[in-house]
Amino acid sequence: MLEKALHIEDVNEGDEAPVKSHRLTRTDFVRYAGASGDYNPIHHDETFATAAGQPSVFGHGMFSMGLLGTALTDYVGPGRLTRFRVRFARPTWPGEELRTKIVVKAKRVEHRKHMVDMDCSLVNSEGEVKVVGEATAHLPGRA
Amino acid sequence: MPEAATKSIIGRSVTKSKVVIERGPVSNFAVAVCDSDPVYRDLEAAREAGFDAIPVPPTFPFVMSNWGHFPENQPVDLPSGNPLDELLGPLMAKGGIILHGEQEFEYHRPVVVGDVLTGESIIIDTYRKESKGRTMTFVVTETVWKDDTTGESILTSRFNFFHRS
Repeated sequence: MLEKALHIEDVNEGDEAPVKSHRLTRTDFVRYAGASGDYNPIHHDETFATAAGQPSVFGHGMFSMGLLGTALTDYVGPGRLTRFRVRFARPTWPGEELRTKIVVKAKRVEHRKHMVDMDCSLVNSEGEVKVVGEATAHLPGRA
Repeated sequence: MPEAATKSIIGRSVTKSKVVIERGPVSNFAVAVCDSDPVYRDLEAAREAGFDAIPVPPTFPFVMSNWGHFPENQPVDLPSGNPLDELLGPLMAKGGIILHGEQEFEYHRPVVVGDVLTGESIIIDTYRKESKGRTMTFVVTETVWKDDTTGESILTSRFNFFHRS
């Protein structure tokens, strides 16, 4: 498994990580509520959400960041991230198809470690940006 | 609350807690963020990937104090009062909604199952913005998680959220 891991030599500026796409369901919100312990009813109780003026329940921001985190670790490997930061731009709605976009921005050396900076975002099928941010990972070298 | 009073909560401690990282919640969380990597479920897979124990998905630290948080091992010097309640209580009484603005993690070493971590959350900023006739009151907290055994800093989490009137 370590041999298959992404190495610094495999990565170039402008490279894109494999896209992870996911169609959102209310079940995703309930599963995330249970696994995270975040039971804010705006994410699972339609009656509550509409009474609060929302068109329906909407996704936890941290579910979106979690999905992006999964795409990041699928690419760089678990335990490789040193920094992960996002801004929540828009709510996510049941039925939307979300797609991850991860682009390598820079390769650099920090404290003699090989670092990769990436821009990352989560967009729907109309290209509407839901979450936008950046991440840094340290990668092993083959040499 | 006037702007100056809002700023006066900067630097105050919100919570302190000690958490034990357990395999069940970690595996379950991985499922919830659509991560099927066996590294989050199977110790052998974790070892093959170079870990001594099962690691956690990158956003698990945001929720880890909801699991493995046991009353008998909580710190005794808990902060008195909650500055967030003081700030947000009066705002929520007038309605509105609380939304997550930004989230950041800095990872110094991977969090793994079996870790016992102590975290303290401090308010590092508050500010207001007006937009489309609504007032948005922002709060940023920073939580530093340390290894309870070695005192080593493991992870910093910055949570930016806001009340929208």
